[in-house]
Amino acid sequence: MPINNEFDVIIVGGGITGAGTARDCAMRGLKVLLIERHDIATGATGRNHGLLHSGARYALKDSESAEECIRENKILRSIASNCIEDTGGLFITLPEDADSGFGLDYQTKFIDACIKAGIDAQAISPEEAREKEPSVNPSLIGAVVVPDGSVDPFRLCAANVTDAAMHGAKILVYTEFLDFIREGDTILGVKVLDTRTGLKAEYRAPVTVNAAGIWGHGVAAKAGIHIGMYPAKGALLVFGHRVNNVVINRCRKSADGDILVPGDSVTVIGTTSTKVPFEECDNMEVTPEEVSLLLREGCALCPSLASTRILRAYAGVRPLVADDSDPSGRSISRGIVCLDHETRDGVKGFVSITGGKLMTYRLMAELATDAVCRKLGENKLCETAETPLPGSVDGRIETVSKRFEGKVSLGQKSAAGRQGDLVGKLRFDSEADRQLVCECENVTLAEIKYAVAELGVTSLMDLRRRTRVGMGTCQGTLCIRKAAKALAAALGDPSLEGKLAADYLDERWKGMRAVGWGDTLREMEFMQRVYKYEKPYSYDEI
Amino acid sequence: MQEKNISANNFEQCQKCSLCETVCPVMANNPEYGGPKRSGPDGERYRLKNGIFYDDSLKYCLNCKRCEVACPSGVRIADLIQQARIDFNRRPPKLRDMMLASTDQMGPVASAFAPIVNFSLGLAPVKGLLDVTIGLDHRRTLPKYSSETFVRWFNKHAAASQDSFRKHVSYYHGCYANYNYPQLAKDFVAVMNAFGYGVHLIERERCCGVAKIANGMIEAATRDAKINMAAFRKSISAGRDIITVSTTCTMTLLEEYPELLKVDNGDVKAHINLVEQFLYKAIASGEVKPVWKEGWKARAAYHCPCHQERLGLGIFTTELLKMIPGMELIELESNCCGIAGTYGFKKENFKVSQMIGRPLFDEIAAVAPEFVACECETCKWQIEMSTGVAVKNPVSILADALDLQKTSELNSL
Amino acid sequence: MKFDVVIIGGGLAGMTAATELQSSGLRCAVVAEGLSLHNASRSGFKAAGGTLLQGDRVISGRIENGRLTGVFTEKLGDTVLEADNFILASGKYFSRGLVADMDKVYEPLFGLDVQYEPDRSKWFDRSFAADQPFLDFGVKTEGLLALKDGVPVANLYPVGEVLAGISSASGDATVQIRNSALAAVKAIRRN
Repeated sequence: MPINNEFDVIIVGGGITGAGTARDCAMRGLKVLLIERHDIATGATGRNHGLLHSGARYALKDSESAEECIRENKILRSIASNCIEDTGGLFITLPEDADSGFGLDYQTKFIDACIKAGIDAQAISPEEAREKEPSVNPSLIGAVVVPDGSVDPFRLCAANVTDAAMHGAKILVYTEFLDFIREGDTILGVKVLDTRTGLKAEYRAPVTVNAAGIWGHGVAAKAGIHIGMYPAKGALLVFGHRVNNVVINRCRKSADGDILVPGDSVTVIGTTSTKVPFEECDNMEVTPEEVSLLLREGCALCPSLASTRILRAYAGVRPLVADDSDPSGRSISRGIVCLDHETRDGVKGFVSITGGKLMTYRLMAELATDAVCRKLGENKLCETAETPLPGSVDGRIETVSKRFEGKVSLGQKSAAGRQGDLVGKLRFDSEADRQLVCECENVTLAEIKYAVAELGVTSLMDLRRRTRVGMGTCQGTLCIRKAAKALAAALGDPSLEGKLAADYLDERWKGMRAVGWGDTLREMEFMQRVYKYEKPYSYDEI
Repeated sequence: MQEKNISANNFEQCQKCSLCETVCPVMANNPEYGGPKRSGPDGERYRLKNGIFYDDSLKYCLNCKRCEVACPSGVRIADLIQQARIDFNRRPPKLRDMMLASTDQMGPVASAFAPIVNFSLGLAPVKGLLDVTIGLDHRRTLPKYSSETFVRWFNKHAAASQDSFRKHVSYYHGCYANYNYPQLAKDFVAVMNAFGYGVHLIERERCCGVAKIANGMIEAATRDAKINMAAFRKSISAGRDIITVSTTCTMTLLEEYPELLKVDNGDVKAHINLVEQFLYKAIASGEVKPVWKEGWKARAAYHCPCHQERLGLGIFTTELLKMIPGMELIELESNCCGIAGTYGFKKENFKVSQMIGRPLFDEIAAVAPEFVACECETCKWQIEMSTGVAVKNPVSILADALDLQKTSELNSL
Repeated sequence: MKFDVVIIGGGLAGMTAATELQSSGLRCAVVAEGLSLHNASRSGFKAAGGTLLQGDRVISGRIENGRLTGVFTEKLGDTVLEADNFILASGKYFSRGLVADMDKVYEPLFGLDVQYEPDRSKWFDRSFAADQPFLDFGVKTEGLLALKDGVPVANLYPVGEVLAGISSASGDATVQIRNSALAAVKAIRRN
């Protein structure tokens, strides 16, 4: 076994938890390997609301989670400024809520619980709420302002991976976990498959962290360990533009479709919650019933959704832990579950980190890294709560935009919004670099080249997670051909163009199918026409 | 739930087909302009996120509305752009823009001193001075101001006899006919009188506001719009429909008032008629009867102004002109002349304005008509300056082709 | 305003029919919302003396005793476009010749009978590259005439992509589209 296959810690899973853990471990000086079978942020990380919870949602039923949320909320605002939008949030009470026992008495209890948890919650009048967020259901009878926000999960995950790599971590995407290397009751490393080359390999480390989300169930099973996971599917809809500028929640017991989040150029409604079999987790389809339910509930928050174009539907699977029968399993709350399998199951060198939420990833990573350090006898302190992520040292569009000389183009401003202060790395050397490839989301050729060079992009799906290419109104109808050509060229193999485009078309098609009527169906017909028959526009030269 | 399956947010109906880009006269000639799709529906999504995404290049849009005519999805692209300019462009208008926009305030001043103003506007050093000081292009032939406004003439010579007619209409003459070209308004009165209609002025008529909107003077435009609407309502309740002659004024009254100025005109819209539409319908239904001059003949080319294309009422003009027995009418290809109101007067736009108009000028030269028929006053300036071919308003053509005396006798029965 | 034939739609199907009919001496009007890729044919039609209502669109029609007697447009207000025969060349979804709701597909101008699959989950194939069932939906005809509530409308000829089974989004349908237009032209000339 060659020496470069040996690490201090191996992390399985390139979602936000794995990425955060890789960063934390690397910052504490450990030699880190992260493996991910697809691209980063492909599981639940990239398939949620993108809500930066204030914690208010949990204040009444789970004060510990609520306190975690508001602490992490504040931390993320300071370390991940270019991934966060400070939208603020509203919890609204509707007349029908009062009828079902969630009237203004409930609101009072809710505010008390928030304040107890350290969440700045303030009741405002219906008039004030309508003024603050004009799209809100005008029939509301009460509203509470909370410090919610929105977070771009792709950007957040990519920033953690980038920073981990900058601290020496090795990141292997498209590398699937197959099995453990095991000696008796000790895990010595992992056996993996490079899904692109088909080659197998082995990597060794004294500790392996299972951060594979819902798939962590299967990873643990390879070590003969059972984690009682509960795969809860959540479906969401993406609307064509920012309908609201403030997060809108229902002030009642959590239910389906009761959160409306504005993020980037769209608004997202979610979610549903249904238990699904493990074997379905790899391929989630949103059903017509889920679409109807989300629309119905969404319209109660914001009536104009009834006549707003829906771009697509998607679903993720939450890695909930049903119950943990082992009292020694170190679980600081019902949300986050960090398991040392040596104490829990008698298996050495193996830690699982699961449960939790997108926005508590940093705390989860800290707990997992603490566990790893204990095993390795390290005692360096965690610094992730104080150290800004790459791009976020000064991530505001207004200041970052000023770094460009002369007139700042829309493509440059949009890139500044996405890449934060790393935008200085984009090279606008030629007229072609300045050209927009994706006109809905203002993605320039320069940004695509940057993503390929610096952010580990190999497919158009990877590219969209880092740049929003093809995520706008036309869902790629106008840009997939251009983007495939640009990506193939940047990857150094122009012959890849057709395959790159075909894969992305199937992926976009999947999300559109679930909401294929009205203007979206028109777009789908146009998309078919553009890619199957006509080539009416000059896609050839960019 | 989603029973209105076409988005109520008009810009979301955009399918990104980009047809609008193929007809945008500015995009084809000015590389700094992002074009209608990007400035309109694409830009709107990002402006909703953050005002920093407002792009200064939106100022290049000349609001010709050709993008809206081309759009297969009915997206009000030009309105989106105008609205964004209103909402985000916080820079106060320049002196020059205010002068160009305040057609009804500059008008009275200029008319009073018309001989001097016309003399000095035609003088090279003065034009050079305007060029340097306020940015009006010196190559531009500036519109002449008339020494007697239409309103003064009307009150002196025509007002008294109007009550003697059986039927009555109110005439929204607009700034151009009043200050720059009273002959058009006089022709209008002659034609309407011949068909048996008494003509009345709009009480305290204000400029429609198109130039103020284009130059960012929204408050003033809104104030004028409200005054006009009140006067229209008064006229309508007296049983008099509003007749207009300018296509641009008409588009502003019908479309821009509710869309951009948020001045409701729902109750008034059906009573505002472009003169060609009004006369075509009256003649076709037998309500009025024309008597044409014996032996009148003309070979004319019809240029449909951009705002007429947007209104979609050009068919009334062509069908009306085709009713004239001696008329040979050649319909020109759909092209923009490039002037777009005050746009082409600005120094920074002169070159682009001429480039935009080139295909039209070339076609007119090839067709070589006796004159060009066109409803728009600013197209007239641009085409006459750039081709040397005379441009006649359809109303003036009718005034010439009709035997006014006999028509009057026939329709007064 | 009275014409011999009013053609609804200015795409390949509409302009093929309009140009043929106009040049055979019939007075035609084409209502064409938006530009199309077949714009050149519009100039030819105008040059032949045809009336083009560019940028306008038909919003409703008058069907009396099994015949379409006139159509209203968005821009012309109360002015009706009357004709002996009408050609419906309004295309599929993109040009809004067909409109899809969450649970149905309909023809929006006259409420013509439409052939489609009621179960929305069966409108699409999972693979983008495969044939897509929704592209085969369209108005039903008997002979060449449109059906409304199972009864033919005596002078309304749907042509081109508004018809079931014709779509240029699923492959080159130029020949099919032209042939459907020419068949209607032949029938109108015969009458």
